[in-house]
Amino acid sequence: MNVLRRVLLGLAAPVLALIVAGLFTTLLLLLTGDDVGGFWDTMLSWPKNRNLVNILNSASVLYLSGVAAAIGFRMNLFNIGVEGQYKVAMFAAAVFAGQAWLPGKLNVIAAVLVAMIAGAIWAGIAGILRTTRGVSEVISTIMLNAIAGPLVGYFLAKWGQSTGNSTQTKPIPEESWVGGITIFSDSVTKLYGLSLLAVVVGVLFWLVLNRTRFGFDLRATGSSESAAIASGVNTKRMIVISMLLSGAVAGLVGLPVLFGNSHNYGASFQAGLGFAGIAVALLGRNNPVGIAFGALIFAFLTEQGNLLNIMAGISPDIVAVTQGVIVIAVVIAYEVVRRARTRIEQAAVADALAAEKGAAA
Amino acid sequence: MRRMGKIAVIATVAALALTGCGSDDKKENGGSDSAKGPKVGLAYDVGGRGDQSFNDSAYKGMEKAEKELGATIEEAKAAPGENDDIRAERLRTLADAGFNPIIAIGFIYSPAAATVAAEYPNVKFAVIDGYSSTIPKAPLDNLSDLGFAEEQGSYLVGVAAALKTKDKHVGFVGGTHGDLIKKFEAGFTAGVKSVDRTIKVDVQYLTEDPNDGATGFENPSGGKDAATAMFDAGADVVYHAAGKSGLGVFDAVQAAGKGHWAIGVDSDQYLTVDAAQQPFILTSMLKRVDTAVFDFVKAVKDNTAKPGFTVYDLAADGVGYSTSGGFVDDIAEQLNAAAEKIKSGAVVVPTDPAKVK
Amino acid sequence: MTSAVAAGETAIELTGIGKRFPGVIANHDIDITIQAGTIHALVGENGAGKSTLMKILYGVQKPDDGTIKVNGAEVSFATPSDAIAHGLGMVFQHFMLADNLTVLENVVLGAESLHGIGDDARAEITRISEVYGFGLDPDELVESLGVGERQRVEILKVLFRGARIIILDEPTAVLVPHEVDALFENLRRLRDQGHTLIFISHKLDEVLAIADHITVIRRGTTVASVLPSETTSRGLAELMVGSELPSPSTEESTVTETVLLAVRDLEVTDEDGRQELAEISFDIHAGEIVGIAGVEGNGQTELVEAIIGMRHLSRGTVTMSGTDITHWTTRQRRESGIGYIPEDRHRHGLLLDSPLWENRILGHQSRPPSVVGPWLNLRGARADAERIIAEYDVRTPGVGTNARALSGGNQQKFIVGREMSGDPKILVASHPTRGVDVGAQAQIWSHIKAARKDGLAVLLISADLDELIGLSDSIRVLLRGRLVGRFDPQSVTPQELGSAMTGAGDDR
Repeated sequence: MNVLRRVLLGLAAPVLALIVAGLFTTLLLLLTGDDVGGFWDTMLSWPKNRNLVNILNSASVLYLSGVAAAIGFRMNLFNIGVEGQYKVAMFAAAVFAGQAWLPGKLNVIAAVLVAMIAGAIWAGIAGILRTTRGVSEVISTIMLNAIAGPLVGYFLAKWGQSTGNSTQTKPIPEESWVGGITIFSDSVTKLYGLSLLAVVVGVLFWLVLNRTRFGFDLRATGSSESAAIASGVNTKRMIVISMLLSGAVAGLVGLPVLFGNSHNYGASFQAGLGFAGIAVALLGRNNPVGIAFGALIFAFLTEQGNLLNIMAGISPDIVAVTQGVIVIAVVIAYEVVRRARTRIEQAAVADALAAEKGAAA
Repeated sequence: MRRMGKIAVIATVAALALTGCGSDDKKENGGSDSAKGPKVGLAYDVGGRGDQSFNDSAYKGMEKAEKELGATIEEAKAAPGENDDIRAERLRTLADAGFNPIIAIGFIYSPAAATVAAEYPNVKFAVIDGYSSTIPKAPLDNLSDLGFAEEQGSYLVGVAAALKTKDKHVGFVGGTHGDLIKKFEAGFTAGVKSVDRTIKVDVQYLTEDPNDGATGFENPSGGKDAATAMFDAGADVVYHAAGKSGLGVFDAVQAAGKGHWAIGVDSDQYLTVDAAQQPFILTSMLKRVDTAVFDFVKAVKDNTAKPGFTVYDLAADGVGYSTSGGFVDDIAEQLNAAAEKIKSGAVVVPTDPAKVK
Repeated sequence: MTSAVAAGETAIELTGIGKRFPGVIANHDIDITIQAGTIHALVGENGAGKSTLMKILYGVQKPDDGTIKVNGAEVSFATPSDAIAHGLGMVFQHFMLADNLTVLENVVLGAESLHGIGDDARAEITRISEVYGFGLDPDELVESLGVGERQRVEILKVLFRGARIIILDEPTAVLVPHEVDALFENLRRLRDQGHTLIFISHKLDEVLAIADHITVIRRGTTVASVLPSETTSRGLAELMVGSELPSPSTEESTVTETVLLAVRDLEVTDEDGRQELAEISFDIHAGEIVGIAGVEGNGQTELVEAIIGMRHLSRGTVTMSGTDITHWTTRQRRESGIGYIPEDRHRHGLLLDSPLWENRILGHQSRPPSVVGPWLNLRGARADAERIIAEYDVRTPGVGTNARALSGGNQQKFIVGREMSGDPKILVASHPTRGVDVGAQAQIWSHIKAARKDGLAVLLISADLDELIGLSDSIRVLLRGRLVGRFDPQSVTPQELGSAMTGAGDDR
C-alpha cells in the first residue's frame, strides 16, 4: 500500500463528509425557503484578515479541546467531560492568577499548571470510578459536566466581583496578560499568545502517540484491549493515566482566552468548546494533523456563520446543524473507507501471493 | 462493529450537543433602503427575539423607531457558545455594513461593545443593562449603557402582592443568582414589607451560577417546579424575574387554581399568555426596554445621545407595572401613592436583598 | 416438508460452483454428487474452502458460478430459510443454544408454527428422540446437559424442522472419543432411516470410520472422490495436502535437570468464588515440552492466563528459574522471558488493524529491538518484522500490511516468530497450530522443536492429540480444573487419553 494511496484514502472520508453535509444543509435551506445563494456566498467568501485571525484563535482553542478528547478516544475511552474539565480548570486558573501571588509571567506559568492539574483531577475522578467501580466513563463524565457548572457558579457567586450586572473573578493583573501576536498589520484582532499552546500540545501528542512505548500501549489498548492485556499492558493504569492526561489538556482549553482577552472568569465564559472538541476529534480521526484540519474547518464555519444573518438573513444556527451533520457523516464515511481499505489490502495480499506463485511456477 | 456502535453513539451525542440549542426562528431582512432615518443594528444574545419578554420589548421600541423616525433595522442573532471575540466580530460586521447606532441587547455585550466602540469612533453604541462604559480607561463618547431601576418597578408589584395575598405568604422566582436579578428580589421584598412586615417572602433562584443563563432564563420546567413548591408551601402570589423560565411559573399558577396569582416581568405578560392563564396574571413589572431603545435611536438622530450610564427609573417612565386584566384596579390608589413616594425620593428602594429592612 | 427419497437417488448435485471474495478465490469448479441415504464426508485442510461451500449450500452466501440441484431440481437459495424449506438442515460446530432454556424451548424457538410450543411439540420431540436413540428429555434445561447431549439437541432442532439432508460442520471437534462413538451411532441410525448426511471434517480416521463416500477439497476445488474401502488415512491426507504428510515424530529427549517453570498448588476461582483450577502442580525443565490434554473448557484457558499473569491466583505459587513470580504483572513476566502464543490470536495475539511491524512490538513493548528506553525503535521493529517474515515464511507483501489482511496461518506464523524472538526461556503455547494449514503446521512444529533443543521450556495446550503426542515429552490431562493423569507420549494411546479426559477411566 503506497503512501499516496494511504493519503488519498485518509482524505476520502472527511471530503465525503463535507460534501454530504453541504448537500444536506442546502436541502434544509431549500425546505425552509431560505436564501441558498446568499448562504453559500457568505460561507465561501474569503474572510477578512481580522476574521482570519479570529479563525486561528478559535481553531487553536478547538484544537486543544479536540486533542483532549482524542487522547481518550485513542484507547476507546470516551471522555465526554472535556466541557466540565475546562470549565473547572479555567475557573481555577482565573482565581489563582487573579490573586497575583507570583509576578508577571511566572504567574502565567503557574496558572497553566494549576489549570492542567484542575482539569486532570476533574477527569481523574471518572478514571478512578471506572477502574475501581466499573462506572462507564461516558456516564460519569457527563455527570461531572453537570456538577461542574453549579460548582463553579457557587464559588463564583461566593468569591466573584461584580461589575454592573456581571459577576466575575478578580481580574488578572495586567503584567500577567499574554499579549496578542500581530499577524496582519491591518487587523484589529490579534492571535492569542497562548494559542501557541495548541502547537506545543499537538507536537507532543504526535510524539508521545507514535514514538513512545506509552503511546504504543495507549493505541494497542484502543485497538484491542484483550490483546493489550495479553501483551502486558496494565489497562487500569492506562485508563487512569489517559484520563489524567486528557483532563490536563482539557484544562488548557480556556487559557488562551483567559490570558489574551477576558482576563477573568465570568459572564463571557465560552461554553460548548468541550462538545465541539469531541466533534473535532472525530472529524480529525483522533490524529494530530487531522484534528488541526477539523478545528480549522469548525472555526471557519463558525466565523462565517456569524455573518450569515447580517449578510443573508439566515439564522446562524444553521451552521451548528451543518457541523452536526459533518460529524455524523464523517463517522459513517470513515467506516465505509475503512472497509474499502481492508478489501484493497486483502486484494493486494492475494495479488502478491499470486504473483509469487506465478513466478515460482 | 461493536466499537463502531459506541462511536456512533458518541457522534450522535456530539451532534446533538452542537445542534441541540439551535432554534428555528428566522427573520425577514428588515427595513427598506428608501428610508432616510437611522440605520440601526440590533445585536441579540442567544435566544433573541421571541422570548415574549426582554428581547421582544427591545424590538417593540425598534418598531416604533421605524414608524416614527424612519429607521431601518438589521438584527443579528447569537449562536450558543460564544466568547467576547465572536460578539465583537458581530458588532464590527454591523459597523462595517454602515449601521449606526448599534444597540446590543444584554449586559453580556459590554466587553465586546467597549472594544469595538474604540475601533469605530463615529458609530454610536449602546448596551441595554450594560456596564461597558466602565471598561475603557478613557471614557468613550460613543458608548452608552442603558440601565433600569428594576428595583423600583419590583417594589410596586411587591406592594400589589402584599395587598392581594390572603395567606400573608408570597414568593419570588429568580433566574440566575447575580446582581441584576438580585435587584428585582430586593425591590419586591421591600415593597411587600412596606405594606406588612409579617408577610412571608419565599425566594428561589433557578441556578446559583450567575452566568448560567440556560438554567436561569431558558428553563420553564425549572420555573414551574420552583413556583409549584411555593404554592404548595402556602404562598398565593409569586413574582418571577426569570425570562422564559417564567412561562413555567404561569403553568404552575394555573395548576394551583383560583385564589393564586403570578406576576410577570419586563413586558406586559398578560397580553402574551394563553387566555386560560390570563385570569392568574395579577400584573407585570414593566421594564421599558422599548422606551430606552426608542429614546436612544431618537437621541442619535437628533445628535443628543449621551455617553455613559443612563438609568431609566420610575420618574422617567422606564419601569412601572401593567394594569391589563384590571386585577389591580381596586388597589390603584395605594400603588400610585407608593410610586409617588419613590419619585419624590421619600422612599429609596434598596438594590441588594441583604439591605432590605 | 419433503418426502423421503429412496436410497440410490441423487440428493444433492453441485456443478461448477465458484465463489470469489475480493482478492480471494474461495471456491472454483466444485463438482459433488451426493447420494440420498448416505453419509458423505467432505474433507480438506483448514482454508481449503469447505466452510464457504457449506455456506453456499445452506443459503448463507450465493455462488458466483455453477448450479445446485436438490433432489434433482435446480434451486437457488437466497437465505437459509430457502434451504430449510427444501429440507436442508445445518448443525454448526459452535452450538447455538440458550443455556437457561429447556430442550423443548430451544428446539421450538423460531419454529413455533410447526407444532406449537406445547404438548404437540413435546410429543414430536419425544418421538424424534426415541426413533434415533437421542435419549433427550424435552423439559431438561440445556445448561445441565453435556457436550454430546447438546449436540444431539442441535441435530434434533434440524430434524424438528423437517430436514432430510443434514450438514454437520466438524461435529467431532468438541467431543471426546467415546462421545464420538455415540455420535456415529446416531448418525448411522439417521442414515438408515433415509436421511442424507454431509459430514465435514479433517480428522481422517473418523471420516474413514463413518463415511460411505468421501470428497476431498484442496485449494478451493474438488480434487478427488473416493470410497473409504479404497483408501487409507495416509492416502486421504496426501490428497488433502497434495504432498507428503508431515507427522509429529518423537525425537531424542532434550530434557535437562534445570527446572525453569514450577507451579505449586495453584488455585484459581472465578468472580463468584467457583473453583476453576485447583491443586495444580507441575515442573517444566529446560528443553522439555509438557503437553496439557483435555476437553476444552476444563480449565486450560485459566491455567494459561494464570501463568501469563492475566488471572489472579487465589492460592499457590508460580516460580521461574527459582524466582517467585506469583505476584508479577504480565509485563514483568514477559520481560523476564515468557513467550505467549495465545489460544485466540485475534483477541489476544494481534492488533488486526495495525501493520505487521507494529504487531512485532506487541508484547515486546519494553524490549529491544522494538524500543530504546521509553521510545519506540521503528526501524528496529521493522527490520525484525522483516526477519520474522523471512524466517517463518509469512506470506505478505510487506511489513506495512495490516495483520487483518493476512490469512490465519500466516498470522499464526508471525505470532510464533514474534514469541520466539528475544530468546524466551519459557513458551506458553495455546493451540499453536489451530486453524493453520498442514504446511504451516509442520513449520511451526519444527520451530518449537528446534527451540526445545536449545533449552526452551514449553507448556503446550492443544486439542489436537496428534500434536500433543508428537511434540510433548510428557502429557498431563486437565479435567474439571484438576490435573488427573500423566502419560508418556511414547506409549499412550488416544483411547487412554480420551478416557482420562472424560473421567471415564479409572479414578486417578
